[in-house]
Amino acid sequence: MTLRASVTPKSSVWWRRWTIALVAGGCLGGPELFAEPVRFSRDVLPILSDHCFACHGPDEGSRKAKLRLDLREGALTPAKSGQRAVVPGEVNASELIRRIVTQDPDDVMPPPESHKALSAVQVETLRRWVAEGAPWGRHWAFEAPRRPVPPGSAAAPGNNAIDALVRAHWDREQLTPAPEADRATLLRRVSLDLTGLPPTPAELAAFEQDRSPQAYERQVDRLLASPRYGERMSWEWLEAARYADSNGYQGDSERTMWPWRDWVVGALNANLTFDQFTTWQLAGDLLPGATPEQRLATGFVRNHMINGEGGRIPEENRIDYLFDQAETTATVWLGATFNCTRCHDHKYDPYTQRDYFSLLAFFNRTAVDGSGGDPQSKPNLEWPSPDQTERRKRLDDAWTRTAAATRELERTKFPRSDANTAADSEAAKDLPKELLEFLRQDPNQRDAGRLEKLAAHWKDSDPNYAQVLTEQRQVRLDRDAVVRSIPRVMVMEDVPTPRDTFVLSRGAYDKPGARVDAAVPPGLAPFPSQAPTNRWGLAQWLLTPEQPLTARVVVNRAWQSFFGIGLVKTAEDFGLQGERPKYPDLLDWLAVEFQESGWDLKHLHRLIVTSATYRQSSQVTREAFERDPENRLLARGPRFRMPSWMIRDVALSLSGLLVERAGGPPVKPYQPPGIWEEATFGNKRYEQDHGEALYRRSLYVFWRRIVAPTMFFDVASRQTCTVKTPRTNVPLHALLTLNDVTYLEAARVLAERTMESGTSDEARIRWLVREVLGREAHSEEVNRLTSALARHQQAFAAAPASARELLQAGEAPRRTTVDPATHAAWTLVSTTVLNLDEALTKE
Amino acid sequence: MDPLTQHQHELTRRAFLGKGATGVGTAALALLLGRERAQATTASPVGGLPGLPGYPQWAPRAKNIIYLFQNGAPTHVDLFDYKPKLKELHGRAVPDEYVAGKRFSTMTGKADGKLLLAPIEPFHQRGQSGAWVSELLPYTAQVADDLCFVKGLHTDAVNHAPGISLMLSGAQIPGRPTLGAWLTYGLGCETENLPSFVVMTSVSKGTSCGQIFYDFYWGSGFLPSRYQGVKFRGSGEPVLYLSNPAGMSASTRRAMLDDVAALNAIKFRAHGDPEIATRIAQYEMAFRMQTSVPELTDLSREPASVLDLYGPSVKEQGTFAYNCLMARRLIERGVRCVQVMHAGWDQHNSLTTELYTQCKDTDQPSAGLVLDLKQRGLLEDTLVVWGGEFGRTPFIQGNLDDRKRWGRDHHPYAFTTWMAGGGVKPGLSYGETDELGMNVVRDPVHVHDLQATWLHLLGIHHERLTYRFQGRDFRLTDVHGKVVSEILA
Repeated sequence: MTLRASVTPKSSVWWRRWTIALVAGGCLGGPELFAEPVRFSRDVLPILSDHCFACHGPDEGSRKAKLRLDLREGALTPAKSGQRAVVPGEVNASELIRRIVTQDPDDVMPPPESHKALSAVQVETLRRWVAEGAPWGRHWAFEAPRRPVPPGSAAAPGNNAIDALVRAHWDREQLTPAPEADRATLLRRVSLDLTGLPPTPAELAAFEQDRSPQAYERQVDRLLASPRYGERMSWEWLEAARYADSNGYQGDSERTMWPWRDWVVGALNANLTFDQFTTWQLAGDLLPGATPEQRLATGFVRNHMINGEGGRIPEENRIDYLFDQAETTATVWLGATFNCTRCHDHKYDPYTQRDYFSLLAFFNRTAVDGSGGDPQSKPNLEWPSPDQTERRKRLDDAWTRTAAATRELERTKFPRSDANTAADSEAAKDLPKELLEFLRQDPNQRDAGRLEKLAAHWKDSDPNYAQVLTEQRQVRLDRDAVVRSIPRVMVMEDVPTPRDTFVLSRGAYDKPGARVDAAVPPGLAPFPSQAPTNRWGLAQWLLTPEQPLTARVVVNRAWQSFFGIGLVKTAEDFGLQGERPKYPDLLDWLAVEFQESGWDLKHLHRLIVTSATYRQSSQVTREAFERDPENRLLARGPRFRMPSWMIRDVALSLSGLLVERAGGPPVKPYQPPGIWEEATFGNKRYEQDHGEALYRRSLYVFWRRIVAPTMFFDVASRQTCTVKTPRTNVPLHALLTLNDVTYLEAARVLAERTMESGTSDEARIRWLVREVLGREAHSEEVNRLTSALARHQQAFAAAPASARELLQAGEAPRRTTVDPATHAAWTLVSTTVLNLDEALTKE
Repeated sequence: MDPLTQHQHELTRRAFLGKGATGVGTAALALLLGRERAQATTASPVGGLPGLPGYPQWAPRAKNIIYLFQNGAPTHVDLFDYKPKLKELHGRAVPDEYVAGKRFSTMTGKADGKLLLAPIEPFHQRGQSGAWVSELLPYTAQVADDLCFVKGLHTDAVNHAPGISLMLSGAQIPGRPTLGAWLTYGLGCETENLPSFVVMTSVSKGTSCGQIFYDFYWGSGFLPSRYQGVKFRGSGEPVLYLSNPAGMSASTRRAMLDDVAALNAIKFRAHGDPEIATRIAQYEMAFRMQTSVPELTDLSREPASVLDLYGPSVKEQGTFAYNCLMARRLIERGVRCVQVMHAGWDQHNSLTTELYTQCKDTDQPSAGLVLDLKQRGLLEDTLVVWGGEFGRTPFIQGNLDDRKRWGRDHHPYAFTTWMAGGGVKPGLSYGETDELGMNVVRDPVHVHDLQATWLHLLGIHHERLTYRFQGRDFRLTDVHGKVVSEILA
């Protein structure tokens, strides 16, 4: 298809008639349509991207008619026919406009079969853009953020810049913000957001009694300083980092990456700044004098799945791992959908397939060879506990000592010159060949098996020598056992000579094309001149202030955690097809503030949760809901169902069962029988833990990649990088919190606490509601629960066996002094309250 | 609110307010909540899941689909694709022109010099249509006139997980929505009491080469998770956490849910978030599932004559036969898509041993399902698909002298799948491979073509059913696919 003559009289008449009809009918709903000049990046680029770039965009392979509309030059340069797609200021001379308004089905753009027809508003936007001189610009997210000046000053107390920026939008949109949430709601909200656990009644009482203007900020500071903060905040990072305790794919062997998980929790608690958090994880091993912690942090890169399927080509596996590493990096720091460029140039964003493999080249320098089998493939790092370190040191010393004793004894037992070994001694000449081989080694080289054979040989003829050998053997066995017990974590380590990286045709491992060097995607920000061309340099580039994406992408995810939806809804895509932020100035202000604070995460989180915007009540009228069902305009507080892992933690906490021990190997709490067995044809058996392990936080639950823990829903699969998880509302979730033993046991134990909490049923019910919902019960609620209790009590009194059965849920001991029927009835009342929408929801 | 969301709200609202439920349930709640406010924000996978407006796009030939997926890749040259030439050339090296430049799994590496292997059992032409079916599948042979054999299928993948993923989701990389998810997204589902997309799995006893059933085989990818398949388990409760805890009677549970609903309604009146109304509805649906699933799995009212169609293991939970019967019962109750997966077809070294077990376990139930659907008049509306992710090499894997360990490797270049009912031509064999069964020589059908055809039969244009993710409109057939109109009835 080539560009043809300019607008025909026929189509311009038709166009005029059409526009008049639309305006007369009031159909032109585009908010910016006649109010202000068209803005390229906000108004025009999304249309071009969505409707034109698939054939006239960055991907040369699929480009039609050699026309390229993503660059100004491409749109303005005359085609062979002489036509120009865009002639600034001249609507009638612009072929692009003619082609989008023509009625000729062979000529009209986009072609009907693409099903991408333009709306009247879009056509008008493009027409006006050309008429206004076709100003060009860049996609908003590819320009470095500049800090907007918040309008006015933060007048009201407790208001910060977030509020000033949001308020300006409210004024424009004529929105009335919600009042501040009451203190009980607010404390529960912020406690869940920052620690993943509800406030205790004592904490609530303290907050309610604190009348100082800084009362709320004090609570926030207390929560930020709690070690629970790191446990809460690490969850989303673990999902993005596709952290799991097994390799995935067939076989799904166990792996030991939990020391890395514990490092994340510790780093967040210590408020390691995000630039260091980034650098250590991408390149800790390359830092001068890298500490063990810095090397451990690079486990991030190695968290990908490992394929042990028979018949797989190792090189194909290896390339798959590199794909995952490059794509994870692009998603986590750039919000870039790099996976699109694995096989071809990006259809919408200015990333080429060459860029993809250039980024991949940063990771293509390790000794990883892609062969299956070893679930802890090298390079890896030993991560001993202090106790293991101490024991190993003690046994190393003992080994040196016992080996020296053997050496000393052999010197006299097998006389020989210094240049020779014991095996060369005259005294050894009649010994069996095997033993001679052992004696040729220095005693500190011999393994336990050899020492045992030597000891056996001299057991009767030289018991003293045999005894020395046996002692040495025992030390060796002990030391080997300690070394074996030390966790080994997969980490990054570059080989001295980097491998060559090639562009792979259609992403196929065996179709190498042009060789590429490690490089960052061009056009976003220059690579720092002093930086090395390795992962450390990559990290430095990601963190340069001019690099437009990292800070925005990270603050957006923080917003998403607290408000349930990001300022940019497409947290995974900041490209042209991603959502344009509702409040771009707010996003940019936060991004710059985050950078200039020295990438201080706690500062960022504190800013958000202390804003008046965050502190609003989440109550909503029908009108307000219909206007803004997803609360994108932020004229009320956030309200959404808690993540399933948090629901579990909260239930454990309310029952008093929660065991707050940090870190260590993963635990296996209750799970219905046969889940692993069925998924793995019996190869993996789920050995449920007992005692404290049942009550650890969800963060520490063993994550098997091919069959995730059944007690969670709406969570990332932990198979590939995920920065946004769905939030659904389905019956299967109800069945879980109604029937899973975890929740039933929590209700049973909570019932015991409830029964002890007061002297009347009403007082107990009020206590229960306060405990679970963090607020006072209304009389209507008390009445309903009181009659429920009576009903259940009556039923269980008539069926004592049922009561005893119900009370057997879970392994926590039951106080047998309590009447079973009463306890069972209270258990059901507790279950009822734990299953209320409000109990499952952060509001 | 965009029109689509609006539409869903309306439908959910109607389902929520209008249709009766057990006990106090929804009718009373409507009063409690006040009708005006009872708008739900999200639909559910269970109960009157609405489809997209305008779907199906034309009168569909099939309303439901049952996919009898044979994991591991059944050997086309031993079951359906009869090649006398293989017998003639048995033990001779494969001629170079058949395999030059082709990629096989690492177990084969390069195919040059591999020895051809005759079919394991004799073939016969069956029924009026004269379709070739091996003696390994006597029951399938009896229904050959009801089946449409697509013999020129080919795929891009040479390993299991990518191959299955391509067949079910249109892409080799995990993470795209699968067929069932697309169908329920587009068409919705009528049942109020069961999930709209159900998956069941089984494996033959003593299978040495077990393939894992990854959950992305029935995943919803980037579609909302309410469209993902719900896996019914092969042992114990079919749905996790379905049963009330020991000591809790159904009436106690009902009373408790009434309390939950009443208290939630108080909250909803005070607070106004429609999500609360949805939560009430979901708890009610959970309660209905607690009744409908046990009813589904209660086979006591199936006559012996019907049970006999599926073979002796039909009453054993977790067998392929049981799952086939369950597939029919699910379809009868309004479930849109049932995916029955059976693993163990990976005969690298067990053509003369495990292949027999495999056929025995699947042959009668598959044919039985077709007969049962047909005699109930359900086959007209139901598309049944039987097949795996690729074929197996016409040449041997293993040693020709060691008959007990004969095997065939993965073969993406040609394989056979059969379909029945739902608007496909019965008694047709479509497409042809060369005289060795190595490559397609007439009427090739790519995986994406097959997918386009399925969607077509269900009233969907495969290029139109798209979903935007990461800035791109995705679809089941990726950017490929052509409806195979020659096999449409």
